Amino acid sequence: VILRLAAVLVAALALAGPASACAHPRTSLTYLEGQIMCPTCHTTLDQSDSAAARQIETHISQRIAQCWTAQRIESELVANYGKGILAAPPHSGFDLLAWWLPIAGVLGGAALLAVGVWRWSRRREPEPESAASGLDEETERRLDELLSRFE
Amino acid sequence: VTGPLKLTLQLLALACVAGLLALLVWKLTHQQHAPRVGAVAPAFTLRRLDGPGDVSLASLRGKPVVLNFWASWCVPCKSEAPVLEREWTRYRDRGVVFVGVDFHDLSSDARHFVAAHRLTFTMLEDGSGQVTGSYGISQVPETYVLSRAGRVVAHLAGPITASGFSGEFRAALARVAT
Repeated sequence: VILRLAAVLVAALALAGPASACAHPRTSLTYLEGQIMCPTCHTTLDQSDSAAARQIETHISQRIAQCWTAQRIESELVANYGKGILAAPPHSGFDLLAWWLPIAGVLGGAALLAVGVWRWSRRREPEPESAASGLDEETERRLDELLSRFE
Repeated sequence: VTGPLKLTLQLLALACVAGLLALLVWKLTHQQHAPRVGAVAPAFTLRRLDGPGDVSLASLRGKPVVLNFWASWCVPCKSEAPVLEREWTRYRDRGVVFVGVDFHDLSSDARHFVAAHRLTFTMLEDGSGQVTGSYGISQVPETYVLSRAGRVVAHLAGPITASGFSGEFRAALARVAT
């Protein structure tokens, strides 16, 4: 009976250990599942059900239970798998280009479009009527005479 | 839109198209394929999983090499592990080197796997999967048998325990060990 009680106590402590290790988790599995890629299927963890993805999820859960921050967990995974494990490139160094280039592209495209539209609208402004006809007075007089015969 | 601005815009558009085409060509020419039988196996240097230091394939030149790609999360790798260990103990005295390459895996889990299956041959880790990619590995386990000259003698794209592969693996081993 004593042995059984001891075994139950040890099992309870073992199960309770990880949960009680961190009373206030500093990140969540749901958040990190969207930030970390599954290395074999090239989707984020929340989109994957592969064995490799499940392994990483289990590992992340263990780290969360140890009160690790999201940044620390990500750093550990990068050290293990390389930068490709991150769903988004880091906000530093050369990787910043990946963030700024699309923005620069969109802004540049919008600016070009605006300039194009502005110039196009200027070119299509109505011109003076006299200049539009392009006929001298004599021709206009004769044309009026011809037209008056049909009225 | 007239004059220099029009020309600039046209050049910009051409540059964009040329850039995209160059990217497409680069991607197509740099796609990684599995080395064929008879081809020289891609060179690599990887960190040891079972201790400090690195191991390069070049350092094994002159010895037949069995290159096994695996991961701790891979279910067929579990049944394959004892067979690999058994073949390693059988062939090591004949100069054959067995090398396990663990890819896309957590180092801690991989070490646990090695300990649990009592694997004693050289273990390397390829966390990023870069080397594994150069061998065209799409799934694990996969095994390459390399000759003393570093050429591919056999490529088994599946567990060596599979009925279609076990005979081919043993035949390739016997061939390179002579």
